[in-house]
Amino acid sequence: MKSRFKWVTAIIAVLVSLIIGFNFNNQQTLAAKKDPNVLKIGMEANYPPYNWTQTNNANGAIPIEGSHTYANGYDVKIANIIGKRLGRKVVVVKTEWDGLLPALTSGKIDLIIAGMSPTAQRRKAINFSKPYRQGTFVVLTKNSSKYANAKTLNDFKGAKLTAQQGTVHYELIKQLKGAHREPAMRDFAAMRQSLISGTIDGYVAENTEAESLKMVYPNAKAITISKMPGFHVSKDESTTSIGIDKKNKQLLNDVNKILATIPNNKRNKLMSQAVRQQPNSGNSTSKGAKKENWIVSTVKQYGGMIIGGVGMTLLLALVGTIIGFIIGLLVSIVRTIPTPSTRYKNWLLNFIKWLLSVYVEIFRGTPMMVQAAAIYYGIAQFWHINLNRTVAALFIVSINTGAYLAEVIRGGITSTPEGQFEAASALGMTHTQSMWHIILPQAIKNCLPSITNEFIVNIKDTSVLSIISVSELFFVGSTIASQTFQFFPTYLMISVIYLVLTFTVTEIFNFIEKKLIGDKNYNLNTNQIQVSTAKDAGANN
Amino acid sequence: MSEAKEQILNLKHLKKSYGNHQVLRDISFNVNKGEIVTIIGPSGGGKSTTLRCINLLEEPTGGEIDFHGKNILAPNFNRNIYRAKVGMVFQQFNLFENKNVLENCMVGQELVLKRSKKEAHDIALTNLKTVGMGAYINAKPQQLSGGQQQRVAIARTVSMNPEVLLFDEPTSALDPEMVGDVLDAMKKLAKAGFTMIMVTHEMAFARDISDEILFINDGVIAEKGAPEQIFNHPKEKVTQKFLHNFKRNEL
Repeated sequence: MKSRFKWVTAIIAVLVSLIIGFNFNNQQTLAAKKDPNVLKIGMEANYPPYNWTQTNNANGAIPIEGSHTYANGYDVKIANIIGKRLGRKVVVVKTEWDGLLPALTSGKIDLIIAGMSPTAQRRKAINFSKPYRQGTFVVLTKNSSKYANAKTLNDFKGAKLTAQQGTVHYELIKQLKGAHREPAMRDFAAMRQSLISGTIDGYVAENTEAESLKMVYPNAKAITISKMPGFHVSKDESTTSIGIDKKNKQLLNDVNKILATIPNNKRNKLMSQAVRQQPNSGNSTSKGAKKENWIVSTVKQYGGMIIGGVGMTLLLALVGTIIGFIIGLLVSIVRTIPTPSTRYKNWLLNFIKWLLSVYVEIFRGTPMMVQAAAIYYGIAQFWHINLNRTVAALFIVSINTGAYLAEVIRGGITSTPEGQFEAASALGMTHTQSMWHIILPQAIKNCLPSITNEFIVNIKDTSVLSIISVSELFFVGSTIASQTFQFFPTYLMISVIYLVLTFTVTEIFNFIEKKLIGDKNYNLNTNQIQVSTAKDAGANN
Repeated sequence: MSEAKEQILNLKHLKKSYGNHQVLRDISFNVNKGEIVTIIGPSGGGKSTTLRCINLLEEPTGGEIDFHGKNILAPNFNRNIYRAKVGMVFQQFNLFENKNVLENCMVGQELVLKRSKKEAHDIALTNLKTVGMGAYINAKPQQLSGGQQQRVAIARTVSMNPEVLLFDEPTSALDPEMVGDVLDAMKKLAKAGFTMIMVTHEMAFARDISDEILFINDGVIAEKGAPEQIFNHPKEKVTQKFLHNFKRNEL
């Protein structure tokens, strides 16, 4: 028994050390505290030419917090100017679009510079600087599209149009009479892919997006709608500004002062620089003399990122499952304590049991994605506790897994034969002793397949943690896809990696399970030899 | 055996009911040191319940059980220490499935009696050899036959050095050819002077080994006495009928 435990522990130890090795650099950022000399900029790093992610620091790119990648773009160039004038080191915090506002109000970032328009809605939550970019709106479509020659707002009748989720652009589609407003999309990469693959007829964006799209997709056609008769957009909505927390008036003043010193021609120069520098699928292939295999070039360019993503995914799944297992064990132990003798203790126990069942029900009954968003942004906003992203992700996976495993282990305990409890208490063991030495070892062994299953589910389901921008495998995959525009191959590759991970883990656990059950046969063989010796011994007696 | 007559257990008007169903109406008897008391009677009469109440696996709903003159049902009575002194052998053996034969016999000694590993090991091994299971110390319960499991269960109970041994139909779940080995093991214990209370249907065995027979029917002791008296000259009608049926079945 002992040797078997040691064996399992050894495997787990090896896995843990591997993962910690992968994530050593990430771990270091765990310890990073809020530093007044650092200016944290929130952006998607996925919206060229305003902002994008690249693997090196070329063209004045700045590091993205918690990763080995860098951000660049018009927003980054503006951020660099602001940082230099303020005398603070600029760091990019890569954040999903929907997470930008909560990240700002909860103090996870100092500024939003993300091509964001200062709409009335957003002004309720945060302050905006003076505009740092004036945009014109376009509908992007293909040259071959029947809407390519639209002259008026009514010419888009029947067109399937979309725009980015939560943007002004999406609201503007309503002004194009007769157009079908398709569901909004998460980012520009997805919209470009949809346009190219033909699932939409076009999408609304700013003219800068038109320039960048044409670089990677020459067939793109931009139709300016800003000047069309009847088109109406408020000044707020056609500009982009820097978002600042309402509490931070000083920073707002400083930013406005700095922006006032950047003249329009300089701004245009920065933007055209950004358009030229932005990554596109053409660049990576034209760099090499011969055309490299797509997989080879992707692995060369993004290999580190992918390994980091695999490491983060395994770390989250493994630590989450282990801590979740411990939580589940404790919860199920408490929930199976027999009724105590005194009234007060009985009341207290019932109360704790009630709390635990509430915990189990809530975390089993809500999606982990929602829990992640609520906990990560919610805690910061209401209690001003700034959780590190990795820590928050580990926390979420752990308590989520805990809720599931609590039920699994409780089932294992209650399905242990009553006679085992009786024999233990007949020997004079306390409840704790019989639980620890007799019941739980059997219950856990019986639950092992379910625990394995939970681990595999965790490997896959940690992908929803991309909502809080944890750079696990899926998040890395979508970053690569949006930069290379190779959606299908990238996600196919990511799928294969997931499959390899889950398959390996399944095999490891099958092996462990077989070891646990398998020695039955081994002992039986040796016993058959012993049977005869036993009879001989008995005869001699 | 009767020279000192030190009283170990004293049951006074023991009652047990589940809701409205009264299983034990009024059970009173004494057990002296070294005595072997056998409870017989028809199914559902309350034999096993009496035994399980003595061990507190069932909570009596009335009456008193005194152990060396102290009421074990008193609120401050340390039940775990008491249970260690009153060993129980179950019909279904109930060996710990996560432990091998030797560990089954050691775990109680180490946890409850706080014996050292070495001491527990030696005691367990001695007792396993006594019941003829010395060769199986590394086997898991599920690898053994019923009779082997029951003998390990006996060794496990004896390893706690209990003052009283309770046997709850120890051979009822066994194939007939296994019964003999288990009864032999129990005979050895009887010869060694253990105080025993057992519920059994092995009438011949009960007659040979017991000091006193209790016939329990419908929650009361219908008749009690020496084996010779109960088996050969039963006074009560129910006893006569029960034993008559039993003899007929055995033919």
